[in-house]
Amino acid sequence: MEQKRPQLNSDELQQLKWLLGGALVLLSVWTVFYLELDAWTMMAITTLAVGAAIVRPSWPALVPSWVHRLAFPAIVAFFLGDLYLTAELLPPIVRLDILLLLYRGISYRKRRDDLQIIVLGLFLIVVAGVLTVSLVFAAQIMAFTACALAFLLVITLVDATEGAGSDKGRVTSDKSAAVPAWAAQMELGRLLRRVREVLDWRVVTLGGLLFVGVVGVSALLFMAIPRFQLENSLFLERFMTKKAKTGFSDTIRFGDVTDIQQDDSVALSVDVSAPEQVPAQPYWRMVVLDDYRDQSFRMSPTVRLRSFQRERTQRFVLGEAPPKKGTGVFWTFYLESGVSRYLPLAGTFWELRFMEMQNFRLAPSLRLIALRDEPVTMTAYRVENFVISPIVADPAFAERGAAQPALRLRTSDQEQLKRFVAEITGGAALPVEQFITRARLWLTSKHRYSLQSQLPGGDGDPLVRWLSSAEPGHCELFAGSLVLLARTAGIPARLVTGFKGGTWNAFSNNFTLRNSDAHAWCELYDVTVEGWRRADPTPGAGEAAADESADAAVRAGRVDRSWSARFDSLRVFWYRRIVNFDQRTQLETLKAVKSSTQEFGKRLRATVEQIGATMKAMVQGPWDVKRVVLWGGGLALVIWAGWAAKYFGFSILDFRLGRRRAAHELVRAEAGLWLGRLRGLPVETALLEDLQRLRYGATASWAEPRAVFRRARDARRAARRNRVS
Amino acid sequence: MNAVEEWSDSGARVRSRFTWNRLLWALVFPQRGQRIMLTVSGTLLAALSLGIGMAAYNSANNILFITLALMLACLILSGVLSWLNFSRVRWRLRLAPPWRVGQVTAVAVELGNRKTFLPTYGLWFELAARWLDPRPAVVASTITGKGVDLKASLEKAKQNEAVAKLHLRSRLDPQGTARVDWSFVPTRRGVWRVELRGVGSLFPFGFLSKSIGTDVMHNVTVWPAPVEYRRHAVAGSRRQTGGENLARAGSGSDLLSLRRYAAGDSHRLIHWKASARTGRLLVRQLAAESSEGFSLWVQTDAARWAKPEQFELALSLAATLAEDFFRSGQLMRVAIGDEAPRPVRSAHDLDAFLDRLAVVEIVATDEAQSPGAATPATMTVRNLMTFAPDGARSVVALIDGAKAATA
Repeated sequence: MEQKRPQLNSDELQQLKWLLGGALVLLSVWTVFYLELDAWTMMAITTLAVGAAIVRPSWPALVPSWVHRLAFPAIVAFFLGDLYLTAELLPPIVRLDILLLLYRGISYRKRRDDLQIIVLGLFLIVVAGVLTVSLVFAAQIMAFTACALAFLLVITLVDATEGAGSDKGRVTSDKSAAVPAWAAQMELGRLLRRVREVLDWRVVTLGGLLFVGVVGVSALLFMAIPRFQLENSLFLERFMTKKAKTGFSDTIRFGDVTDIQQDDSVALSVDVSAPEQVPAQPYWRMVVLDDYRDQSFRMSPTVRLRSFQRERTQRFVLGEAPPKKGTGVFWTFYLESGVSRYLPLAGTFWELRFMEMQNFRLAPSLRLIALRDEPVTMTAYRVENFVISPIVADPAFAERGAAQPALRLRTSDQEQLKRFVAEITGGAALPVEQFITRARLWLTSKHRYSLQSQLPGGDGDPLVRWLSSAEPGHCELFAGSLVLLARTAGIPARLVTGFKGGTWNAFSNNFTLRNSDAHAWCELYDVTVEGWRRADPTPGAGEAAADESADAAVRAGRVDRSWSARFDSLRVFWYRRIVNFDQRTQLETLKAVKSSTQEFGKRLRATVEQIGATMKAMVQGPWDVKRVVLWGGGLALVIWAGWAAKYFGFSILDFRLGRRRAAHELVRAEAGLWLGRLRGLPVETALLEDLQRLRYGATASWAEPRAVFRRARDARRAARRNRVS
Repeated sequence: MNAVEEWSDSGARVRSRFTWNRLLWALVFPQRGQRIMLTVSGTLLAALSLGIGMAAYNSANNILFITLALMLACLILSGVLSWLNFSRVRWRLRLAPPWRVGQVTAVAVELGNRKTFLPTYGLWFELAARWLDPRPAVVASTITGKGVDLKASLEKAKQNEAVAKLHLRSRLDPQGTARVDWSFVPTRRGVWRVELRGVGSLFPFGFLSKSIGTDVMHNVTVWPAPVEYRRHAVAGSRRQTGGENLARAGSGSDLLSLRRYAAGDSHRLIHWKASARTGRLLVRQLAAESSEGFSLWVQTDAARWAKPEQFELALSLAATLAEDFFRSGQLMRVAIGDEAPRPVRSAHDLDAFLDRLAVVEIVATDEAQSPGAATPATMTVRNLMTFAPDGARSVVALIDGAKAATA
């Protein structure tokens, strides 16, 4: 007989509640990991304190009562102080939330305190999700939901066990009261063992399936909830500021871009409707720096004032490229938070559309777009019809007099630069394109590429010192040097930072750019084309592939099938299907569902018709002995299978879920059958009694049914044998 | 003797034919008798969902839409689990009469879980025991009901009703049974209706308090309270010869049967001839005579019972004496009001008498005796015990006009 499953008593349920409450607190405060908020110390303290309280639930009783009395005023005072010192709203609220969670996590809780944990935790996770739009949010909200549901379930069971209105196990208002009985007895290991004993695998499986169902239903609801296009931007972003990486700001020092390259995380994902449009060596321009002084490149005030238009607040902007006839090529960018407020762009475009209203400034001549604030969340925008070219047309630059901020170098440095230019040009005035080629050759002959480069010591400008040495260098040094050399040669030049290259994710079919793809290059003004010609002097960064086969090789080489690509594909799925889901996508999804349903219906109908036609043809065909035997055999097989299912059905039905008849009813029916079969046969009385107990007796009095039926089968065989003999 | 109801379950009310429309409608709108109320957690969830929904629409942020969708999905899950929890659970009332006023009585709710592998948790049962007023209800209009003290009426109704909410504290295993007990003390005699008004649960997450109304009810007759009384020796049973013989052992003059001698038997009863013939010592067993016992007559005329509390006491005394006399084999006949006397031969007759005592009321004098009825007063009955008020509070039992017992 099946043994009765053990059951958690009231104290054990209280212990489980404590454990789950602590787990919820920990899950919530760990949002700090990806929220990138200054609350690391608080998070560490909460983790340690709540972890200790989970393992030793009697410790909270050691906290003197005055601490509890002072806790709330102290927390409020901390919040107000934080608010005053940081002059921001959201970070202090988040820290306040963590403090409250800490307090709830280490003090004995009443029912309302348990609910508070859920609300505080949910707030923290949702704020983190809204601010970061990170994929981690998805995992965290799932874990939090599962944990919170288990927590609420245990609370309900505790209430049911103790009866409504009972105060057993509850906490009195004096939180420093004696240790509750459940806390004094709690041992984590023993509790987990007890939980494992109590759990039934079938119930756990059903619970798991139901949770999967919850996720599925929430996905359906997410897609089905009607959307209205309200032209608002998210309010939470305004209450928190975030600093972007310095390599992509309008001032960089040597090494800033290289620092970014050390980071292998994803910076930008690009969906392209026509992947063949992506060049073999794409350059994603972000910032243009035309002024060199104080050993750093920066965007000059002139450029900032003249090139950038006044700020706009809208969802789209038109570029200078013409619209493409027919279906355009769409590039959807998902720029991770904390990269830059300058948007990476591969060229000029017809239209750029943001997913939500944005405040931004456009610089048409620079082909740049700068958002007003550093985005604290992923920024998505869709570009239609990029025109990708190594030349940035700027006819107005020549009209303005090709003026650039003067190089503020010492005379000796300027002399040195002139000598270098003479070495490169041989004293001749070269066309820009030729100058670039020679300068690149000259640089690569003197310096090799290394991320671990160091500027040589000494007086004067560091870039000139590096040029004079044979030290290896990184992209900033090569690009900066070319800018100085070109400017010395009288060619307007500027430094550009952004990304170069990237990989093609084979799983999600999108272009992925990591921070390690950060790059610096330069642009030289070529009057012959009335534009800025891209020049990348860094060794190994060939401007363009020699021929199409090399181009194809580069494209093939950048296909990424690694595990990180799999993870990135999840992220892209998250951005494509969840974060960017809007009214238009909703309509498209509905249309897709409708068309696929219609398609499925058509296929199903066709398949059924085909099967029907085949069956008809088979029946109408000439019947010979072979066919009769085949059909007869098949029919017999089906009948036998039915009989076998009925005969052996009992053991199968034992494990069948949702069967109509309960197991004991089947046993009674089977026992009744056997009593009928054995009637009149000489079988032992004990067997008959066992069968009668199975047929009529209480289930508690039963012997193991299968063993009894086996004995009955054997007894019947033996009786038949004896009769025959 | 146990009174057992038929099994009922959460689906007992649904008799209509299954259709998908009905199922869908049942998912949206609760069935009749079902109550679904938001709890504190549920209100919190609703408020949170509302807030997040508003923020989601205001900001068009999909993270908020996801959170909203998850919360709504959790609410759906809660409904599904609640339905599974109630599904295939059945219950019935088990009562254990006799019930007497002032004595603790037991009501049990028996539960059975017919699910295959899913247990059931956290059920509660709303039980009520209500005294049924035998008098026809007076219909009072709220317009004309001047001077009706509603509060007092409610208070009075409350006195005649006992309610309880019983919790199933343990898990009800699949294919398992459980029992939840309730004990209460009836405050007055009469017919009480014990009802299982509802079966509810907060399972699984406590968002909604779901309660299913049931039709399970059982009427129980509550006998008058047993009372302490003082017997008066002077009015003991008066022995008279030539009485009516009864077919049970007693101390009359007629031989009923012979039986083996037992220690303590009078030697005068030994039947020597039979003993000699059988070789065993046998004694005569004589038939009882009706003249040894008592007949009880409870008069219900209003002229006799000016004070209802004395009438109640008289009924209690009558019930107690009836049981005591029956136990000692001395209860012959019983009668209430103007009805014909009924012989008491078995426990069933006694129970019937006590049942009638439980519901008897004072009858107005002019209709107390119907003409021509064969009441004990018109018959020649020996040892007839009647009841009358004795002073301001007491009641006396009289045998042929002499005091026999006082309570």
